[in-house]
Amino acid sequence: MKKLLCIAFMMVLLSCARQDENVIRIGAAGPMTGDQSKMGVDLKNGTELAVAEWNAKGGVLGKKIEVIVGDDQADPKQAVSIANKFVNQKAVALVGHWNSSCSIPASKYYNDANMVMISPATTNPRLTLQGFKRVFRVCGTDDQQGRVAAEFVLKKLRPKKVAIIHDKTAYGQGLADYFKKSLGDRVQVVYYGGIIQRDPDYKAVLTTIKQGKPDAYFFGGIYPEAGRLVRQAKEIGMNVPMVTGDGVYDPTFINIAGKAAEGTYVTFGKEPAGLSSAKSFMEKYKAKYGEPGPYSIYAYDAANIILTAIAETKTTDGAKVADYISRKTFHGAFGDISFDKNGDVTKAPYVIWQVKGGKFVEAR
Amino acid sequence: MFTQQLINGLALGAVYALIALGYTMVYGILQLINFAHGEVYMLGAYLCIIVLGVLTWLGLTAFSLPLSLLITVLVSMVFCAMYGAAIERIAYRPLRNATKLAPLISAVGVSIILQNFVMLAQGKEYKNLPPMLPSEGVSVLGANVSPVQMFILGASVLIMLVLHLFVEKTRLGKAMRATSQDRVMAGLVGINVNQVISVTFMIGSALAAVAGVMVTLYYGVVHFFMGYLAGIKAFTAAVLGGIGSIPGAMLGGFVLGLIENFCASYISSVYKDAFAFLVLIITLIIRPSGLLGQKSMDKV
Repeated sequence: MKKLLCIAFMMVLLSCARQDENVIRIGAAGPMTGDQSKMGVDLKNGTELAVAEWNAKGGVLGKKIEVIVGDDQADPKQAVSIANKFVNQKAVALVGHWNSSCSIPASKYYNDANMVMISPATTNPRLTLQGFKRVFRVCGTDDQQGRVAAEFVLKKLRPKKVAIIHDKTAYGQGLADYFKKSLGDRVQVVYYGGIIQRDPDYKAVLTTIKQGKPDAYFFGGIYPEAGRLVRQAKEIGMNVPMVTGDGVYDPTFINIAGKAAEGTYVTFGKEPAGLSSAKSFMEKYKAKYGEPGPYSIYAYDAANIILTAIAETKTTDGAKVADYISRKTFHGAFGDISFDKNGDVTKAPYVIWQVKGGKFVEAR
Repeated sequence: MFTQQLINGLALGAVYALIALGYTMVYGILQLINFAHGEVYMLGAYLCIIVLGVLTWLGLTAFSLPLSLLITVLVSMVFCAMYGAAIERIAYRPLRNATKLAPLISAVGVSIILQNFVMLAQGKEYKNLPPMLPSEGVSVLGANVSPVQMFILGASVLIMLVLHLFVEKTRLGKAMRATSQDRVMAGLVGINVNQVISVTFMIGSALAAVAGVMVTLYYGVVHFFMGYLAGIKAFTAAVLGGIGSIPGAMLGGFVLGLIENFCASYISSVYKDAFAFLVLIITLIIRPSGLLGQKSMDKV
């Protein structure tokens, strides 16, 4: 009797463990906790908003869509373990990861498991240069971004000397390198070097940089470090502007740095608020989650592209879905999106933003 | 450049020294490495943000910034002193006569509990404090000494002086020294050993609270995990100076802060932590008891 009861109990457990096959799973992965968590949560919200809209219309291929969330903590090791988890859970596609250092190692696992991966935010060019047919991105790349930043610095700031710092991650160092390459020998680089992420104190390295008397300094990295850098730079009396990339484009940067953020230049895409195609997205997002983050709309578009392709090809086979995505033009909230042979978007217009009066405004 | 690095290093070192004092005092009296000490410092940092938030809401920061900073420091000190005493009462006193390892494990447990408590109560995110003090400071030999740095250096030197006088000149200080030399004998001659130990924990925790407030004003960010690394650095400083010795902890803190800064500026900002620990290893090989650690020193 006891044995029978045991077996019956195990059967119950087993049937619970068996996954519901009547849903289509889409992964959303990014840093959901830790100092970059706002970015991961923005990404997740954008994905969930798109999926909720599809579910309201009856799902896709007659099935409901479920978003499974993965927290990579901006850590490459965690990202790979999440990739394995999603593959085991039979997710058909992924919106993510946020950090380049996470997307690049994880992309192999998604591609090998015949999953489509669209990153809304990974800008390191290497992601799509690995020859993976199922890997795309809906944002720009760091070589474009580095070039735009370098041209802006040379034309508008006209420095005699610049300093370059990066956070030693795939994204930060990559961006700093492309910036340096685009500058060429047109300006003297007085300092080039890395800092440790999450270190509270950058005064020592900033003092060394100040010694070289640069007219501007470039930082390849993310907003928590950027906020501390500008704040401490002002404290040691270094009053030259910081120029940095899309990883810093978030109000959190201004919260951390306070007044010290004023005058900082940031490369980022155009603001969606003015686009007519983004109007409905902005309204729905605000109603559900509050103010959209910089990458919420990219995640929303990425999810919509995946679901449109699944609906059109009538399959969840990654190879077929990826093939469809690479050939078609999609009408996203951010405008028309199409992909080149690598899986990068064909147009990614970066513009220069500047912090003025506690807000990002387009610099002219 | 050199002066600027010197001042940055001294400010960082003052913070390490204040935390290291708590380690060294507890070690001197109980031969216990209080691993929960870094978390008390983290609590002090959070209290700084909370108290300043309340004071801003009341409009006091706009009325008088020095007064509100003083209130912030005092409130953090009182709260952290209570935490320190409670930790000792709950986690260490019942294990006073157990094997030497038991309180050590208990300390690690308290550290984990406090970290998770703050994480659940305050969230996993970084909390930011907008700059309260102007960044433009006084120019000394070509270096900019910001008001926060002046506050850190001034306050920590003052606190260390007061602590020194307390330990050397007062009755309670004498009782502490006696307890650190021989706990049983001190009890026999009528010293209330439990009370002395409680006071030691309270003083150490209050010093960590000051360090927490300073760091929050200096860097403007707090995080529930910040006590871990700071605790390890301060422990390094205490060992470097000679654990158990009060002047040793002060010296060790400043030396560590200076090493980190000069290494970051002249060698590599990426390897500064590795370099700091390398210096510790070399010191311990040459002088196993630390810079000022001698058997004959009074160790409180």
